[in-house]
Amino acid sequence: MKEVAITSGRMNHGVDPLLHAWGWEIPLYLFLGGLVAGILFFSAFFYLRHRENVFTAAIKVAPLYTPVFLAIGLAALFLDLSHKLYFWRLYTTIRWESPMSWGAWTLLFIFPLSVIWAAFWVKDVYPNWDWKFPIIEKTIAWLAQFKKWFAWSLILFSGILGMYTGILLSAFNARPFWNTSILGPLFLVSGLSTGAAFILLISRSEQERHRFSQIDSFLIGTELFLIIHMFMGFLASTSVQIHAAEMFLGGPYTAIFWTFVVGIGLLLPLLIEIMELRGVTVPAVIPAMLVLFGGLMLRFVVVDAGQSSRWLYKFMEQLVF
Amino acid sequence: MKEKPFWSPYAGGIGLGITLLLAFVFMGRGLGASGAMMRFTTWVVDVFAHDHVMANPYFAKYAEHPFSNWLVFEIIGVMIGGFLSGMLAGRNKWRTGRGPNITKHKRWLLAFIGGAIMGFGARLSRGCTSGLALTGGATLAVGGWVFMFAVFGAAFATAYFVRKQWI
Repeated sequence: MKEVAITSGRMNHGVDPLLHAWGWEIPLYLFLGGLVAGILFFSAFFYLRHRENVFTAAIKVAPLYTPVFLAIGLAALFLDLSHKLYFWRLYTTIRWESPMSWGAWTLLFIFPLSVIWAAFWVKDVYPNWDWKFPIIEKTIAWLAQFKKWFAWSLILFSGILGMYTGILLSAFNARPFWNTSILGPLFLVSGLSTGAAFILLISRSEQERHRFSQIDSFLIGTELFLIIHMFMGFLASTSVQIHAAEMFLGGPYTAIFWTFVVGIGLLLPLLIEIMELRGVTVPAVIPAMLVLFGGLMLRFVVVDAGQSSRWLYKFMEQLVF
Repeated sequence: MKEKPFWSPYAGGIGLGITLLLAFVFMGRGLGASGAMMRFTTWVVDVFAHDHVMANPYFAKYAEHPFSNWLVFEIIGVMIGGFLSGMLAGRNKWRTGRGPNITKHKRWLLAFIGGAIMGFGARLSRGCTSGLALTGGATLAVGGWVFMFAVFGAAFATAYFVRKQWI
């Protein structure tokens, strides 16, 4: 008998048959990152269009939540790290070819930007707010001269924040379900949509709710378009991508994705918002909560499904199945 | 928005019958409802007392994850459909359905007790009005028809004693 020794990096039960390294922390952060990107984008955009007295919730109230959301998201990211004490090494270099580097530096800039932006508006929302230290009051008053610059940089950074999470996933060429360039725009549109839904949720003005219902309907429609074309792209690619798409077309993720993400998270709120724009009364909280739920489920399903998709050598297929 | 009038019950019944037929065509099985509640509550008990669920043969049968069963998705669809129908008819309001001679809290209490008895009865007879009476009746299962007659008989017999809830 001849003995043949096969050594492969795949002969590791943590790698084969399925390498699942990411739990709930990453999808939660992706959702919160997209939500913050959406809120800050709309806040800065409508500020630059001089709508602060019309769209008060969008420009003034919603940004107050962003530092909290970002903090929770970053805490989740931190919890996910295996070597938590080395997180600072991300900031010792800038690697232009790495989406993770882009993300780390964008977050580093956008966190203080969001805090300062929120600080500009906190006195408008809570008139009895007291900064306690006059130096803070003076600094904010001085920085307020540059509100326009802050708004423009927020537009830039929130765009990057919303998009880079999708680009980060799409950079994993070993995960065929993620390896599509549509994922970046999909996550950006989803983030903007959840931001609009959040503003819809907290708004107290009929006009603002109407406008953000319109914006959200448009964004949901775009998201549906991108999802359909993502699957069409997969089905027109190599057999590996076709296997990845088949997870969602008859495979284990079918029911969860098309019911919770597309059905309850996109189609149903779109229908309700269209009905609302045609005069049927529905409390705005319902489509808003559905869109937020859908955005969260999208992140969870995409992150989980991506880790289940892989390139399999022909002989491995016979071993595994 | 003004409330639109209800459909004729005959039209609603025919619509429900067509839905039942389509359920057989698309899913190969009829509608159901109490099974979904059963799976969900078993899952909740399973989270807290897994050994107890596994030791009980009735529970163990329902102990799989609720979302691996069609019924649970069907019930989610029922809730969405009901909401949409109410929204389009202007009927979506927070309200307690009751007559003029009973307080809200008493109505809620009686509704809770009645619901508990109904749930117990549904699992005792292995189905409620949609699974047993509708689907079972459609397939001419004897149990379905016995159940339906029993439901109406018991309702007629006890309606007098709880009439104050509605009149």
